[in-house]
Amino acid sequence: MAENGEDKLLAVVRHITKTLGKSGTMTDDILQIFSSFDDRLSRDKLSERIGRAAAAAEEDGPPGSSDIKRVLRSLDRQISRFVASERPIWSNSDESMAFLDAVDSLLSLIRDMDSVTSEDKMMIQHAEDLIHQAMIRLKDEFRALLDSQTGGRPSDPISSSFDSDGEDSEGDDQIPVAQPVTDYDVVIDALPSGTVADLHDIAKRMVAAGFEKECAQAYSICRRDFLEESISRLGLRLRTTEEVYGMPWPDIEEEIGRWVKVINVAVRILFPSERRLCDRVFAGLAAVADLSLAEVCRGPAMQLLGFADAVAVGGKAPERLFRTLDLYEALRDLIPEIDLVFPDQYCSFIRFESGTTCSRLGGAIRGIFTELENRIRRDPVKSAVQGGGGHHPITRYVLNYLRAACESRQALEVIMYEDEGGPVPGDQEILSSSLSVRIAWTMDLLQENLDAKSRVYEAPGQNFVFLLNNGWYIIQKVKDSEVRLLLGEDWIRRQIVRVRQWRNSYQKATWGKVIEVLQIAGLSGLSSSLVVRSLRDKLHMFNVYFEEIYRTQKGWVVVDEHLRADLRKSVMQAVLPAYQRFLERLMSLEAAKDLEKYVNYSVDGVEACIGELFQGNLRS
Amino acid sequence: MPATDYQGSSVPFASLGRSILSIRREQAHSMDTHHDDAGGGAAAAAAHELELESFQRHVAELFQDLASAGGSSAGSSAGGGEELLSLSWIRRLLEAFLVCQEEFKAILMNHRGVLSRSPLDRLVAEFFERSVKALDVCNAIRDGLEQIRQWHKHLEIVQVALDPHHRAFGEGQLRRAKKALTDLTIAMLDEKEAGSVVAHRNRSFGRINTSTKDHHRLAVGHSRSLSWSVSRSWSAARQLQGIGNNLAAPRSHEIVATNGLILPVYTMNSVLLFVMSALVAAIPCQDRGLQTHFSVPRNFSWAASMTSLHERILEESKKRDRRNSSGLLKEIQGIERCSRHLAELADPSQFPLGEEREMELRQRLQELSQVCDSLKNGLDPLERHVRDVFHRIVRSRTDGLDWLGHSGT
Repeated sequence: MAENGEDKLLAVVRHITKTLGKSGTMTDDILQIFSSFDDRLSRDKLSERIGRAAAAAEEDGPPGSSDIKRVLRSLDRQISRFVASERPIWSNSDESMAFLDAVDSLLSLIRDMDSVTSEDKMMIQHAEDLIHQAMIRLKDEFRALLDSQTGGRPSDPISSSFDSDGEDSEGDDQIPVAQPVTDYDVVIDALPSGTVADLHDIAKRMVAAGFEKECAQAYSICRRDFLEESISRLGLRLRTTEEVYGMPWPDIEEEIGRWVKVINVAVRILFPSERRLCDRVFAGLAAVADLSLAEVCRGPAMQLLGFADAVAVGGKAPERLFRTLDLYEALRDLIPEIDLVFPDQYCSFIRFESGTTCSRLGGAIRGIFTELENRIRRDPVKSAVQGGGGHHPITRYVLNYLRAACESRQALEVIMYEDEGGPVPGDQEILSSSLSVRIAWTMDLLQENLDAKSRVYEAPGQNFVFLLNNGWYIIQKVKDSEVRLLLGEDWIRRQIVRVRQWRNSYQKATWGKVIEVLQIAGLSGLSSSLVVRSLRDKLHMFNVYFEEIYRTQKGWVVVDEHLRADLRKSVMQAVLPAYQRFLERLMSLEAAKDLEKYVNYSVDGVEACIGELFQGNLRS
Repeated sequence: MPATDYQGSSVPFASLGRSILSIRREQAHSMDTHHDDAGGGAAAAAAHELELESFQRHVAELFQDLASAGGSSAGSSAGGGEELLSLSWIRRLLEAFLVCQEEFKAILMNHRGVLSRSPLDRLVAEFFERSVKALDVCNAIRDGLEQIRQWHKHLEIVQVALDPHHRAFGEGQLRRAKKALTDLTIAMLDEKEAGSVVAHRNRSFGRINTSTKDHHRLAVGHSRSLSWSVSRSWSAARQLQGIGNNLAAPRSHEIVATNGLILPVYTMNSVLLFVMSALVAAIPCQDRGLQTHFSVPRNFSWAASMTSLHERILEESKKRDRRNSSGLLKEIQGIERCSRHLAELADPSQFPLGEEREMELRQRLQELSQVCDSLKNGLDPLERHVRDVFHRIVRSRTDGLDWLGHSGT
């Protein structure tokens, strides 16, 4: 009501002013009188109306030169007052509205002057000077708004939105440390929507007046500060490539853990929040928005990627694989998000660099694999060959390593495939072929190394027990893991055949001569006393061989219970029937009491002894 | 290391190399077969020799070409076309580096079988350590280019403000230009401070002064942002020192012991050091220092041009108007010169401009547009080149370390 009344009053006064004021100076004088008469009739309120009236009048028809001159002079007075103001204009919404109105009027006036064949050079210059002054002030106001409130202090919005309990932990003045984030579906509104609207109002005018460069510059400098500060509050320390390179691996591992969190917060929360803010401030001004956002995010994004680059450059020790894979997978998963937040040409740099860093990490991972292969190949033959011929540490290491690595099978498939160049194929079989080949190759190297190690064993047959143990272990470890899918069923079948061969070879190497000694086929033509003597000799040799085998192989190890039983069983199957036949033949020729002197082992006794083989030192 | 290390020999490298290699051949029977391409005997040795020589020759050619670049003044008529320390010259420098790096890598690959032998293993490993240091220089240079890009933005505003198509320059336009120039001056001044004293970030008490007229606050925020890639204590000068440390010219017994392979390693070390110090000299970065100790024995065919380039860059840095510059890049000089002149001319308090002044202003604006064109066309490609150098260093290091490892058995 009151406002309405005031409006009416103002309208009346404006009318009077307009009718009376035939010239600029007259209007001016009348305004002076009114404004001293009543507060409500202040100069700017009146002239604001006049400015609008001028704008409205323009629609009716091209204004005359003198009209323009008059309006311009009045706008000059208003704008000069704002420009000279000591207080921030946007601290008062009426003031800021009035300022924007004046700027709008001035802008449309300038447009008209361009279209109208205005010959008055001085007038054009006057208008342009004025708009420049207004713009410089607008830029300052723009920056002040950006800096004001929470805009300049990132701690508040971030820490409060990271606080998973949603509790307000105000009160103690501690340095805010971000809480761990689990939900990335958060957008931070760094600035209240009123401020955003104000910023948009200003941005629109600055772009309209051709000041988009200044506007974008002011915007991006301020927001970049905010963004950098936000990221630095997440606790990631800035490091050079060389520094990372020189860090002990466990420290880097810790840092990688932090980095993965930070890059997720940056890409899923901070960058999209900046995108949102930018798009709102520069709504309808897409090019300026994209350019500004690129400027805001470029530095922080490069900095974050720099750490991953530095890790990729570092050493290639096999233990680096797992954390480096974490790094790779984190970045890989974020690439679609990065493409989403930075789809435009101005940000192509960020997209490109993220992709490059990701493939560089892939290269580093391939390098680590190569190093693993080198280490397998170089593992000293004599190292840690155990007396028993059981599992070698390298077998355990490689298999457990590959099992763990293959938990990231998908990533590794892509990484290995990328080595061949070209795009990643859709066909799973083609995709996984590179990794399959690589793993099979690693297994071959391991086998070569084990073969070389096996030759160190001097006792006949023990090399095969060693191979048997390790080969069996490999099958078990491959079978119940992702490695199986990569090596394939054929590989496993081949490995089983090999294990069988080693078992046969073992049997031949140790039990061959025992079984040979028990052969009785060639004795048919001889006299019975010769046969008896021959059988006695054979029995003696059997006793010696068997005792020897029992004594040594009791200390050998077959680690796997199943394999051990299997091996004993197959030895028994080969030895016991032959021994049984041998004893029967002997018994048919000699009296039982004579026999006792020569026969050290009964069939059951032999069986029992074989049943004690391969226990290693497990048994006391 | 002075040239006397060659026992006073001042023969050109080619013959020096040959004599050294023939010493090696004479001793060859007493040493086990050295390299992969053994077997061919004399033919293989000749091929080896040829390979090493052609590397030296290529490096020499590349640097001769770079040294033919024109001098500082406008009348650069020398063969190369580019002006020394201009954006395009630096681009060419980096291209040369990449060529050297690739050829060097090929040599290492061809001899991967012997890389793990002492003292070659140590020498190659040292080279890779140095190249890691170069990576941080690349990062710092990228930041420096970003800095120049920001300066360019100020200049673009000046260009928009003082559009030469205007019939006349108004007071407002002059004011706008002047403001952009002032911002530019502050930004550049700030960088100079950062270049000598290490820039400081005062996050905790930086925002007390919210006066919108405080331009300096803006500028400080500015440089702080851009010095982000390397930590505050990082120093380009120290980094160069690290690259140059213990970089001694090969002695003849080392040449023999390494079958001549120490020569390309030393050459590549020198190329790396030179290229990195030229980058640091030209582009703004934290704690530049141009007193890199740089001396190579004259026997190397590339030594003369590299040394002369080094001296010319040093001379440039001693020039009166360059001494306090944030970078010797020609375009930075252009920015400084243009902005100084324009700031004098585009003084709103002198409004309206006299005819003479306006003429001069238009002339300066033309210079400005040249500088801006050069920046517009040169910065992005150079940045890509710097990234390329970074990646190639990483890659050849990865491969090289592989070869060092492979040859272990």
